Amino acid sequence: MEKTGWLKKIAGIAGIPLAAFFITTILCGVQGVKLFETEGNWILFFRAAASVMLTTFALSLNLNSGRFDFSIGSVALLSSVISASVCTAAGLPTPVMLLLSILSGALLGLVSGMVYVIVKLPPIIVSLGVALFYEGFAFSITKGYGVSFVANLELTSFPGVVNYLLVIVCGLLLFVFLFDYTKFGYDYKALLSGQKVAVNTGIGEIPNAVGCYTIAGALMGAVGFISATNTGTIQMALNFGSIGTMFTAFLPMFIGGFIGRFCNEKIGYLLGAVTTAFISLMYARLNVDASIQQIVTALILVGFLIYLNNENKIIELVMLKKYLKKRQI
Amino acid sequence: MKKAKIRTYMLNLTPLLGLAVLFVAFLAFGTMRDINISYGLKSIMNQSVVVAVVATGAIFIYTLGSFDISLGASAAVSALIGAMVYNRTESISAMAAACIGIAVFIGLLNSVLASVFNLPVFVTTIAMLSVLNALVLVLIKVNGTGSEIAVPAAAVRAINNMPFKIIVLLCFFLLCVFLFSFTKIGRMQKFQGGNPVCAKLSGISEKKMAIIAFALSGIGVGLGAFLSIIYAPTLTRNTASSVGMDVIIAIVFGGMPVSGGARSKIYAAVIGAFSMTLLGQIMVMFNLNSGIGQMVKAVIFLLVVFLATSGQRGKMLPR
Repeated sequence: MEKTGWLKKIAGIAGIPLAAFFITTILCGVQGVKLFETEGNWILFFRAAASVMLTTFALSLNLNSGRFDFSIGSVALLSSVISASVCTAAGLPTPVMLLLSILSGALLGLVSGMVYVIVKLPPIIVSLGVALFYEGFAFSITKGYGVSFVANLELTSFPGVVNYLLVIVCGLLLFVFLFDYTKFGYDYKALLSGQKVAVNTGIGEIPNAVGCYTIAGALMGAVGFISATNTGTIQMALNFGSIGTMFTAFLPMFIGGFIGRFCNEKIGYLLGAVTTAFISLMYARLNVDASIQQIVTALILVGFLIYLNNENKIIELVMLKKYLKKRQI
Repeated sequence: MKKAKIRTYMLNLTPLLGLAVLFVAFLAFGTMRDINISYGLKSIMNQSVVVAVVATGAIFIYTLGSFDISLGASAAVSALIGAMVYNRTESISAMAAACIGIAVFIGLLNSVLASVFNLPVFVTTIAMLSVLNALVLVLIKVNGTGSEIAVPAAAVRAINNMPFKIIVLLCFFLLCVFLFSFTKIGRMQKFQGGNPVCAKLSGISEKKMAIIAFALSGIGVGLGAFLSIIYAPTLTRNTASSVGMDVIIAIVFGGMPVSGGARSKIYAAVIGAFSMTLLGQIMVMFNLNSGIGQMVKAVIFLLVVFLATSGQRGKMLPR
């Protein structure tokens, strides 16, 4: 009995990423392409996993608390603009750019959180205003040209499997520590399950909310850094052009939520990010058109949600079929 | 008691007062800077009308406390298919019918998918946004020159005028006001948005309400797509690209509560759409760069919504 439980757990944790790996490998194989062939393929895979994992953490952090945040993409944009501008102007090395990106992201998140708790407007409205403001600010300080440091070999040297692995491990450990082993994390969970009761028991809702925004900002600072150092350029976005970043995290967030039934939810988010990284790599290896990529990803998202929201009905249907088959025999 | 009533009344009027202030500011600054006011007003009308029409229909979705992020992409796909239909049939009526038909179909697809499979509507619209954005690229690639699908400008010249656009907006607005304020549909929508549990216990079908709201919103999106073609008959991947977010901003700016319910206002969309465009035009007058203009817009947006909702804040943080 216990053995069955463990097997079920392992299948629940590893099933989706493994399935994604096998399906993408088979699809590539059919086209005569190897999923992982060059070092570049490995770099792309780990970059996608790192970037999507951090974005998923940032999105889920507020979304799970009922705070929809449209501004996370603009935080990534502005923090990378600030750090890249400072580092290219002062000739600072890559670790400083990473640190600056995280710090400026945290500061921008803090401002966003402060606006939310001061004006007490629904978070979706605040995030719309903040996104517009940050996009405008990034546009103004670069005069609309964006930032380019393609020729800066120091800053563009970051992309590498080891570096991205380090980002994944550090990000995951910090996130698990903050939310599973600190008072802040316990308060967060209490507020998550019952806002009114938690507040009545003396939990500080305001510092917790501001803390969440600050952490989400820091995570998005790291995402902005990963994106900027990958190409050596940062392109500007106005009129909510930055919100696309947020959409990359929905599929891994739902996959992570499912895997989270069998293990720590944060590991679920990582595995969700790994799953989407396999899919991204397959798109790249098979040169799939961008429009087809969007459609396939959306269909996977809808398909997965249909399963999640109708799981019991599907199981009942399967059981019924089995029962009828048995009776026929 | 009387003071509180007056305060509530004034707060409700804030978006309208905001629009009036912006209009006066536009006239004053325009005169001071020697700008062609009538041309400016025409430009404001052209920019606002599409957002106003789409947002007016979307009010029904927002009243339910729901949210549709794919409206802009839906307008783009409807406009492209409408243009393709015109190029095949050379009939403006067929083009309008195609625009509205496709937009209603997309709206229904969103709501039926959500209803049948028990999905959160918002997530369905996120997936739909991706699919529709991709469809825009595919349609332009397959049916256009590779970068655009064009309707001959001469074909729409006769209806590319202010009176026609105002009539379209007015007719749709009046239809929505009637449905929203004087029929069972509007009352049930508000009840459903304000208290879903009570609404369910009273026999109101949540699924039916969602389907009606998305269908009505589809009509608005279709009309918006039609007006977009009339204003700019050469359609590219950027056609109506900002409409989706502009609609959200306009609705909130016009004083509509995001949570929907009894406080929902059908006129919020029109007030919000015109206010945002007026604000944009004032920024242009001051020669502010796009970035600074957007920052100012963001601050004013938050300020107006903050003032308009100052009587509704509770002790706890809103979610």
